Amino acid sequence: MLKINDIHKSFGKNEILKGVDLSIDKGDVVVILGPSGSGKTTLLRCINFLERADSGNATFGDLQVNLHDASKKDIHAIRQKTAFVFQNYNLFNNKTAIENVTEGLIIGRKIPKADAIAIGKKALDKVGLSDKYDSYPSQLSGGQQQRVGIARAVALNPDIILFDEPTSALDPELVGEVLTVMKNIANEGTTMLVVTHEMSFAKDVASHVIFMDGGVVVEEGSSHDIFVSPKEERTKKFLKRVLPEDYTFYI
Amino acid sequence: MSEGLNYTFLIDTFFVALSGVPITLFVTIVALLVALPLGFLLALTRINQVPVLNWFSRIYVSFVRGTPIIIQIFIVYASVPLILSLFFNRYNININVYDINPIWYAFIVFSFSTTAILIEVFRSALSTVNKGQLEAAQSVGLSNFQAYRRIIIPQALVVAMPNICTATVNLIKATSLGYAMSLQEITLKAKVAANAGYNYVEAYIDIFLVYIILCSLVEYGFKLYEKRLRRYKYASA
Repeated sequence: MLKINDIHKSFGKNEILKGVDLSIDKGDVVVILGPSGSGKTTLLRCINFLERADSGNATFGDLQVNLHDASKKDIHAIRQKTAFVFQNYNLFNNKTAIENVTEGLIIGRKIPKADAIAIGKKALDKVGLSDKYDSYPSQLSGGQQQRVGIARAVALNPDIILFDEPTSALDPELVGEVLTVMKNIANEGTTMLVVTHEMSFAKDVASHVIFMDGGVVVEEGSSHDIFVSPKEERTKKFLKRVLPEDYTFYI
Repeated sequence: MSEGLNYTFLIDTFFVALSGVPITLFVTIVALLVALPLGFLLALTRINQVPVLNWFSRIYVSFVRGTPIIIQIFIVYASVPLILSLFFNRYNININVYDINPIWYAFIVFSFSTTAILIEVFRSALSTVNKGQLEAAQSVGLSNFQAYRRIIIPQALVVAMPNICTATVNLIKATSLGYAMSLQEITLKAKVAANAGYNYVEAYIDIFLVYIILCSLVEYGFKLYEKRLRRYKYASA
């Protein structure tokens, strides 16, 4: 459904992405792992044109675009098919939870207001915030804000949701509620591309795991392939660092 | 020689000064109507580093900010008629430049100077809105224009409001310099009234009072509006 070919991106002289390929089918939950600075977030941002890639192609269903010189129309079309969940939530501070969710529906997708509100309430119910419709982001905890962020993405009913380290800015005790919501929507068959440092999520939920380092895909496979029998030395080293010492025991 | 203040004159002149308020407000409002959109657009050119325009606004701001308004008034009041009369002579337009109402010069001077101030006000206010707000808006399918109108400007405005209020109050006070180009505003009217009997102290007290009442009312209005704008920040659960 989504195919990325040979994507390159540099910031100044610093080459972040050195030719990454990616392929996602409908219903996949693809998790990208890797150390900081490996280009995971940049890859995600280039897919949604929050950064402009230097080169590369994307095939999105029957839509084919060049990631470097896509037209405004193409960018709009891709954004209609995707939704993005940000590390820092990026909720609209001047809008209530329900307005955050309906904004893209009413303004971006021209859905009638009453329908949008019904969709928005359903999305907020799904993430367990049925009592927070009219709260402003300043009145919500980090975990609640991120759940609104996920509801905002889910409500758009996109072909794929891109998650950029959705739990990295959260207090440890709030991570669980967000991961639970993500697991639930994954189980509903939502196609997801997730950059995360949550190994448990990758192990339990991912249908496909990609390990990136230094701007390239080092290794990819099922979560079992990556976590139990990694082939590349870099992958092994990384897993040793991020997993508990007795991880062999866990598995 | 009478002792103390001439209270009758004090009270009469208060109303004379008050009769200058409409002109003062008219100049203020016209200047704001020009400066608010222009200042906002030029602030955008600075934030987005638009070539040429970005440089223009930077130089413009330092020129206007770096010169006293009274000098700007003298320059406009002296040079614009010269330029106009050259222009009119050349194209045989039969208008006497010295019949032009000085309010037009006031519009020009105060619009220009307020624009410079508001460029900086908007630039600082816009930079307080996190870049993520724009990205989030784009990611849910809003155009840049929609994102600015619905998400970014409402948030920037809250930050800008106290400074816009200051700029407005400063502008009201600055219009008192309009007397230098015989603009019929508060200061000029009271001063003229004082000329006849040398009651300057009374006239200055009246001017003082009129400005402080006017500016307090404007400040109060801004405060109410600001409170409404920022309710999302302190809303109780």
